[in-house]
Amino acid sequence: MADEMDEWSRLFRAANTGDSRAYTLFLQAVAPVLRGLVRAKGAGLGEAACEDVVQEVLLAIHLKRHTWDAAAPVRPWLYAIARYKVVDAFRARGRRIDLPIEEFADDLAADAGPDPTEAADVDKMIGMLDGRSAQIVRKIGLEGASVAETGQALTMSEGAVRVALHRALKTLAVLRERHVK
Amino acid sequence: MKTDDLIRALAADTSQARPLSAQALAGLVPALAFAVLMVWLTLGFRADLAQSLVTPVSAVRIVLTGALGLVALRLGLLLARPDGRGRARLWPLGLIGALALGLLAWAYMTTPDGARQMAVVGKTTSTCLTTIPLLSILPVAAILYALRQGATTVPALAGAVAGLAGGGLSAAVYALHCTENSPLFYVTWYGLAILMVSAVSALLGARLLRW
Repeated sequence: MADEMDEWSRLFRAANTGDSRAYTLFLQAVAPVLRGLVRAKGAGLGEAACEDVVQEVLLAIHLKRHTWDAAAPVRPWLYAIARYKVVDAFRARGRRIDLPIEEFADDLAADAGPDPTEAADVDKMIGMLDGRSAQIVRKIGLEGASVAETGQALTMSEGAVRVALHRALKTLAVLRERHVK
Repeated sequence: MKTDDLIRALAADTSQARPLSAQALAGLVPALAFAVLMVWLTLGFRADLAQSLVTPVSAVRIVLTGALGLVALRLGLLLARPDGRGRARLWPLGLIGALALGLLAWAYMTTPDGARQMAVVGKTTSTCLTTIPLLSILPVAAILYALRQGATTVPALAGAVAGLAGGGLSAAVYALHCTENSPLFYVTWYGLAILMVSAVSALLGARLLRW
């Protein structure tokens, strides 16, 4: 487990210096752990709603990644974000949960296979973005296009696509907050 | 949208935010410079400023409030990290508070009976209690703005600490004008003004620092 954690720190450190591939691996490693935790806590909420919560936490991890002190281990940071967001998400859905930090560690063994669940919230939020931003998020997310390809398709520079993507993700988090509350 | 699709979109966003400390200083330094300017233009620096800075009993006002401000700023930036609560140490704040109270007790004992009340009340209590909070507005706003880019898990506490930081530094600026040299005055009223700022900032933090 210690090795796995060091691996997370390494990936996230690389991610924070702009390594998109390391970042993908990091998020893919974190997502199943979050999913296991959210499902364990949110039994009865439904898988799609649980996946909404997982995505909410991932978005928060993304938007707050600059608050990680690269000299500190990534796990306490990650768990603190997840804990805050999961409790918040459940509260917004009318459930009060208790989430001791120790429980995260137990969920590390969660199955890491691909997840087929379609979460609905984020689609709604994307629909509320302006047309151009929505196109960018869909092209990169759903179609798997690169930033360069997206720029070509939309006749935008790569830099402009990056800026628009970043703004769009920030807006998604804000929209989601308003929508759920 | 599946989670893997979202991850793809997140991973494509390689933009990097500036560290919080840089963001905080970018707002705080101009805010404090503006506060110094306002004190200079509206109230004026005290005539014996240079002399007061080398007179221990008077200089200690600036040292204590400035130290409070810097210690609180550091603490606030730590609390802005989601895992900051477990790493934050509150004792340096307590130490500064204890030093201030010690100074107050010392002044109480060394001031003659008849002069105490006059020393506590001073001549500028209301100016002090209004000016320090007014001077704090921009510095506290700058700190809260920076903390908003962070991810605190204790919004009210982070807000209170931001208030101590902005209030403490603003009190140090105010001391450039203020001629009240007795700790009976400044520990009492500077302290009260800073605590007022901190309380308001805690309320603001509880609302603004959620994410």
